[in-house]
Amino acid sequence: MARVRSEAAGEWLHAASSATSMYGNFFYWLFREPFPIRQLGDQIVNVMLDAVSVNVVTAIVIGLIMAWTAGWNSLKFSVVNWSGAATVYLLLSEAVTMFGGLIFAAKIGTAFTVEIGSMQMSGQLDALRLMAVEPVQHIVIPRVLASVICLVFLNMLSQGAAILASMIAVRWWFDISFTIFLQHVFEVLRHPILTNSYIRSAIMAFFISINACGLGFYFNGGAVELGRTTTKSIVLNFIVVISIDCLYGVMDQLTGWSAI
Amino acid sequence: MIRIRDLTFAFPERPVLWGLSLTIEESLTTVVVGRSGIGKSVLLKCITGLLAPQSGSITIDGEEVVGAEKKDLLRIRRKTGMLFQEGALFDSLTVFENVAFPLSYHKLYPADEIARKVQDYLELVGMADYAQAMPRELSGGMKRKVAVARAMILEPRYLLYDEPTAGLDPSSAAVVEAMIMRLQAERSITSLVVTHDIDLTRYVADRIALLEDGHIVALMPRDEAFHPGSPVYEHFIESRERIRQEKVSEVQ
Repeated sequence: MARVRSEAAGEWLHAASSATSMYGNFFYWLFREPFPIRQLGDQIVNVMLDAVSVNVVTAIVIGLIMAWTAGWNSLKFSVVNWSGAATVYLLLSEAVTMFGGLIFAAKIGTAFTVEIGSMQMSGQLDALRLMAVEPVQHIVIPRVLASVICLVFLNMLSQGAAILASMIAVRWWFDISFTIFLQHVFEVLRHPILTNSYIRSAIMAFFISINACGLGFYFNGGAVELGRTTTKSIVLNFIVVISIDCLYGVMDQLTGWSAI
Repeated sequence: MIRIRDLTFAFPERPVLWGLSLTIEESLTTVVVGRSGIGKSVLLKCITGLLAPQSGSITIDGEEVVGAEKKDLLRIRRKTGMLFQEGALFDSLTVFENVAFPLSYHKLYPADEIARKVQDYLELVGMADYAQAMPRELSGGMKRKVAVARAMILEPRYLLYDEPTAGLDPSSAAVVEAMIMRLQAERSITSLVVTHDIDLTRYVADRIALLEDGHIVALMPRDEAFHPGSPVYEHFIESRERIRQEKVSEVQ
């Protein structure tokens, strides 16, 4: 039992060091020629196509749940007209960004780990090195930059979809007119709530993609180990997304910078 | 010429090579044979600088690989091409793009010149008809032929083969063997093949080196190697006997 525990600890230590090594490597190769512009374009298209449907569908479901929850609780306190404002605030400040990050980690992060891990397993990364192509530059940098760009855009799209879904839902369930709902939307948008959520999703995307690529890149073993590494990728990135969300919120509360 | 002297390499958990010395002669095919897991692939990775040995020396045309700066290593690597065990083709690229990759990435020639060269090399390995196929549509033997074309397109002086027939059925293995022979005959490429395939060794080797206990224990021309009593002959017979006995005891 003790041996199993120490092996598991060793595996997690290796996973953490793999992810950490990738941060240094990423910045080392980011500023060196040639910049992989074509690969970046390809990755933006791939990531958007892979993630857009699942992120938007998740956002719609969250929009409906928030509308229902906010509406029922507002009814209890006889302030049902404010359920639109509560829904919009919850969606834009927290729910869409965080759930979007989690879904992105599950869909794109694991895909990066498996893809790069199997490239490592089949010798493709070594083949690149022998052709005088640095794999971090060719494989990792485009994926990380594409993730940062795409998750911000996905967040915008998801927010739009969630707001639309919740607007229709509160009209249908609680008879709140579109005009009142939209007034509340614009009221909430007077705060820098959107800027905050985009910065947060960019930070999440950066950490998710580097961790995922690092785990695949320094992966060692066969199919079973690749499965375990993929599980680690998703667990690690879930923890990272939730931590970033909490830390960002706390920092914002402490410094009050977003209210400036 | 590739010259290896007193090479020592160890993974953290176990030593692999120690005191290994070997010279790869120009325009010949040297085959390194040995049991699975003995360190044959590690030897190739040390030669190409993908793994850093703890001590020893590897020179390619007089240039030292061990401890070389990254930029020097990239230059030295251009002299070698390597065929990986599974071919290591890029899954997202077509056969044509795979072979063109080293040239187009480094923008070494104009696009039409690259297309012509790729076509030439695909014809050389008999894969011209599959230029637009994806790697997943190819058999194991075909993948390895494409991988050889990709390894050769930078016109290396040395071609390193890592278990080129591993996992192939006999007819695909024969095709790969014939291709290695053809490249040797037509291009006089210096080749280093690591394998434990007796048929491949018989067919392509000019010289055979036996790797055991981390170093080369015998190096001899093919004709001598397959005479009863030679260490290489004993190695193959012994391996076959051991495997046969293992299988029999499994069945029992």
